[in-house]
Amino acid sequence: MSSQDNSQLVSQIEELSGQRVSDCYQCGCCTAGCPVGELMDPPPSRAIRLLQLGRAQELLASEGIWVCASCLVCGTRCPRNVDYAKIAEACRALILRAKRSQVDPDVVDDQDLQDVPQQAFIASFRKFSV
Amino acid sequence: MKRRIGVFVCHCGINIAGVVKVPELVERAKNIPGVVTALDYVYCCSDPGQRLIRETIQKERLEGIVVACCSPNLHEATFRKAAAEAGLNPYLCEIANIREQCSWVTSDRDAATEKAEGIVRTMVAKVSHDQPLVRLGVPIVKRALVVGAGIAGIQAALDIANAGYEVVLVEKEPSIGGHMAQLSETFPTLDCSQCILTPKTVEAGRHPKIRLLTYSEVAEVSGFVGNFRVKIRQKPRYVDLDACTGCGICLEKCPVRVESVFDRNLTRRRAIYRLFPQAVPNKVVIDAQHCRQLQGKKCGVCAKVCPAQAIRYDDQERIVEEEVGAIVLATGYELFDSRRLGAYGLGVVPDVIDSLAFERILSASGPFAGEVRRPSDGRVPKRVVFVQCAGSRDSNQGVPYCSKICCMYTAKHALLYRHRVHDGEAVVCYIDVRTPGKGFEEFYRRATDEGVQYLRGKVSKIFRRGDRVVVWAADTLAGKKLEIEADMVVLASAVVPNPDGVALARRLKIPVDGWGFLSEAHPKLRPVETLTAGFFLCGCGQGPKDIPETVAQASGAAAKVLAMFGQSELYHEPVTAVVDEEICVGCGNCERTCAYEAVRVDPHRGKAVVQAVMCEGCGACSVACPAGAINLKNFTKQSLTEMVDV
Amino acid sequence: MKYPYYPGCTLYSKARNLDRCGRLAAARAGFELEELPSWNCCGAIYNTNTDDLAAQVGPVRVLAKASQQGRRLVTLCAACYNVLKRANERLHATGFEQDRQRILEFVDEPFEQDVEVVHYLEVLKELGWDAIRQRVVRSLNGLKVASYYGCLMVRPREVLKFDDPENPVVMDELMATLGGEPVRFDFKAECCGGYLVINRRAVADACSLRVVENARTWGAEAIVTTCPLCQYNLESAQLRRGTVLTPVFYFTQILGLALGLEPAELGFEDNKLDPVPFLKEKGLL
Ligand SMILES: Cc1cc2nc3c(=O)[nH]c(=O)nc-3n(C[C@H](O)[C@H](O)[C@H](O)COP(=O)(O)OP(=O)(O)OC[C@H]3O[C@@H](n4cnc5c(N)ncnc54)[C@H](O)[C@@H]3O)c2cc1C
Ligand code: SF4
Ligand code: SF4
Repeated sequence: MSSQDNSQLVSQIEELSGQRVSDCYQCGCCTAGCPVGELMDPPPSRAIRLLQLGRAQELLASEGIWVCASCLVCGTRCPRNVDYAKIAEACRALILRAKRSQVDPDVVDDQDLQDVPQQAFIASFRKFSV
Repeated sequence: MKRRIGVFVCHCGINIAGVVKVPELVERAKNIPGVVTALDYVYCCSDPGQRLIRETIQKERLEGIVVACCSPNLHEATFRKAAAEAGLNPYLCEIANIREQCSWVTSDRDAATEKAEGIVRTMVAKVSHDQPLVRLGVPIVKRALVVGAGIAGIQAALDIANAGYEVVLVEKEPSIGGHMAQLSETFPTLDCSQCILTPKTVEAGRHPKIRLLTYSEVAEVSGFVGNFRVKIRQKPRYVDLDACTGCGICLEKCPVRVESVFDRNLTRRRAIYRLFPQAVPNKVVIDAQHCRQLQGKKCGVCAKVCPAQAIRYDDQERIVEEEVGAIVLATGYELFDSRRLGAYGLGVVPDVIDSLAFERILSASGPFAGEVRRPSDGRVPKRVVFVQCAGSRDSNQGVPYCSKICCMYTAKHALLYRHRVHDGEAVVCYIDVRTPGKGFEEFYRRATDEGVQYLRGKVSKIFRRGDRVVVWAADTLAGKKLEIEADMVVLASAVVPNPDGVALARRLKIPVDGWGFLSEAHPKLRPVETLTAGFFLCGCGQGPKDIPETVAQASGAAAKVLAMFGQSELYHEPVTAVVDEEICVGCGNCERTCAYEAVRVDPHRGKAVVQAVMCEGCGACSVACPAGAINLKNFTKQSLTEMVDV
Repeated sequence: MKYPYYPGCTLYSKARNLDRCGRLAAARAGFELEELPSWNCCGAIYNTNTDDLAAQVGPVRVLAKASQQGRRLVTLCAACYNVLKRANERLHATGFEQDRQRILEFVDEPFEQDVEVVHYLEVLKELGWDAIRQRVVRSLNGLKVASYYGCLMVRPREVLKFDDPENPVVMDELMATLGGEPVRFDFKAECCGGYLVINRRAVADACSLRVVENARTWGAEAIVTTCPLCQYNLESAQLRRGTVLTPVFYFTQILGLALGLEPAELGFEDNKLDPVPFLKEKGLL
């Protein structure tokens, strides 16, 4: 992927999320407060760093963007008012729009169907599948 | 008869000549009616440039000149002085600003030349109508008022007093010293704050030229530079300052206990109290809100035990009036209330404290006599996390600016903690470490060398787990989220201006920035003056800074005051408003418009009267006057009309 | 007082008890919830992509329907509250006018008036704690309750404007009104793991257990919530771990209990972690 394609991707992500990656000064507060930050690779601040460096493709290929719980803690406490949850959502959209689901509604566990509130299924499918 | 006018066009190197076609401008200027000569020079402000102007004035017997150059802010004074030296009244020299208002804002050479000619024509029209004016002389009251007696105010007061002038030093707290009195040891040299402060407070307290008014606030200021009248409100202290010997017997007997603000609520004091043992003046004060007697309940214990009979339950507020020529604002700072950072748990999670509280813990006169213990259970904390930028650089929940001193005092805190708890672990969570001061980088390195662990990442959340405090941090260098279990957490809260200082500045119409810090007259060249003549500033009320910088700025402000006091009288610009009494109907629009309170309608005669020394020549009144009765000197209707008509 | 009410899908199935107690308790508290005559799913989660208008159609239809019933639409499910309120705010955002037109093309019902989305808790607060206190028939007797708000009630702060985003207190105030002792804790508005329970269960469990543990640290004996997913996650994570089990209620169950609903009406059988023994032990049943 050329650096030009990459920078185009960054602009696309910025537009879709309504966020400006240059606003971020890499304090790491988003990573520190993320409830799933230990498991997110790259964690929010790193992910934004990749975009600042124009390495959008690397972020889109990462696992991290699929771990976000959309809890919005990162943006609520970000001293620079950057909302990483929106950035992650934009990244996922770019992939889902290319028709690559991460969760398959057809293989949901039966017991789960009985137990887990609808809200979770709809949310999960909306976030993770085409 | 038209006046003989000369025009001088300055190249300002290529600043002007690179855009405006100077030779053409000179030729065009010669054609302006009244202009008898037009010349150009590469740097008019240089010595040869000024000489050229002087010689031309004399040779051509000029009756007015226009210098087409940079902004009048920069060189109006220079050229007016040159004109005066050549025998021309300085107010018959006008500046045509063809740099800021012309060559700097376009690259189109023809358009620039056209506009420059227009500007020159305007000023020629003006100078044709200008009247010779004489500066107004104003006597100076050579006494100074200093508001706020932290280290800034104390230093400024001492410098002025030691030069032989009287100073009124006003402090709202019962004793002087400000925040420096709360500090333990000071970076980067680690000398004891009290030990270096006390000689200053004692000197200020005893100085024959300093009138110290503690527990007092400035209520009102009227007048103008050199001649201010000040009303100071002395709050009732309920203790006779002259009688009280500071023996402290009352402090032991008072039955009331209240959290001590001085100790950041880590200890409790009595309703009758003294801020700290070395207080100046070393006298007690009664906190009326908590005193049982003053709240109408039965008590009176302090009056009974006081051997000097100094207690005065019927004490009243007093107003003291003073006349001064200059005022120094040294109102200092407060810490940002980090309880507003809800996720940091200050005030609710035990053993999360702010930096001034930690200073008190480190202080020998603090809650644990200098031993590091945690507030909740008095145990020695074995791991302390220091959280930098608690509110600073945070446009979301705090203040957007950097508080400048926290990196250094946090390094100090971590180091002092390690000195007192040898097996303790000190962890500093930071975004950036900023050490641009003499000896600062070395001090920071010392902290890391002595085992303080630095983690790069802003803390997001602080919470309780059992009897420990958990910090959610990050190591952005490794790209990892971290959870740190600690025994105590210290927040380096942002520095904000003292709210009482902000309120005072607002009342006195002294400009402050968006956060309430006092604005200096020029950020680089007039750093200790305000935009209001006669008001000076120093210390943390102007912006966050450490002690050395505070003291340097305070001495700077004092030097400015002394420079003023060194003059026999002050001069005031003569371009002021004048009233044409024949037209004035006394409607009072001018009075309501004037920001400087320089014009009043005389109630007996029904005419507006201008107090020339207070008039700043802004011209607002002449716009507001429906009758056209009030005009600025040398800005008459006729000259303005001709200026825009060119 | 009668309010248009939007229950949402989950409250029609797995969170029936949240809904039923809410309606019954409302009657006891002095107001009535009038369910919208027909409604559709709100979408369960708000989509933040600036160009994603399709996801807005669902919630906007709900708002349009509500506009025909009244000016304020009451919600009970935290997710519905969050989605509807955000969709509503976006609908009225400046710069969004063109998109608004495009969305409305897909909505048959006209807007009769602007609608405000409110949460049941806000309605209670408006009624006044004193008014509610007077209707309490069974005091909580100092029960130490942690009110858990989760993410959806408070974030994004600038849109929801619901209470203090780090330390919301409305539900705590309600618990105090009912005679309970509200327990302040540090995880009132931290994430329970949400929908990650479907495909990253261990992650979600860890989040939920942290919430429960922190509430216990501060002395909570029980937890109340208004989100079906929070309720499920907090309970099931404990059940999966199997130790020290803290009951998790919908706040409407506790409200109903205090306002004197019959035990059979409180829907405890739908709680995964049977709270009946606990309530008996506390003398509340
Ligand atoms: C935790 C911490 C640690 C620090 N450690 C160090 C260090 O190690 N080394 C170092 O160099 N610096 C240190 N500093 C910085 C140092 O405290 C300041 O540089 C210094 O105290 C500033 O003095 P000041 O006189 O400007 O302000 P202040 O000390 O705030 O004094 C202002 C005074 O004005 C009074 N006042 C305010 N408004 C009014 C009013 N309207 N009327 C009358 N009186 C008024 C106040 O009561 C106060 O007494 C530290 C700061 C903090 C927060
Ligand atoms: S919290 Fe904000 S500024 Fe800090 S790293 Fe994350 S996005 Fe950047
Ligand atoms: S919104 Fe996503 S990335 Fe942000 S804190 Fe929550 S889980 Fe982490």
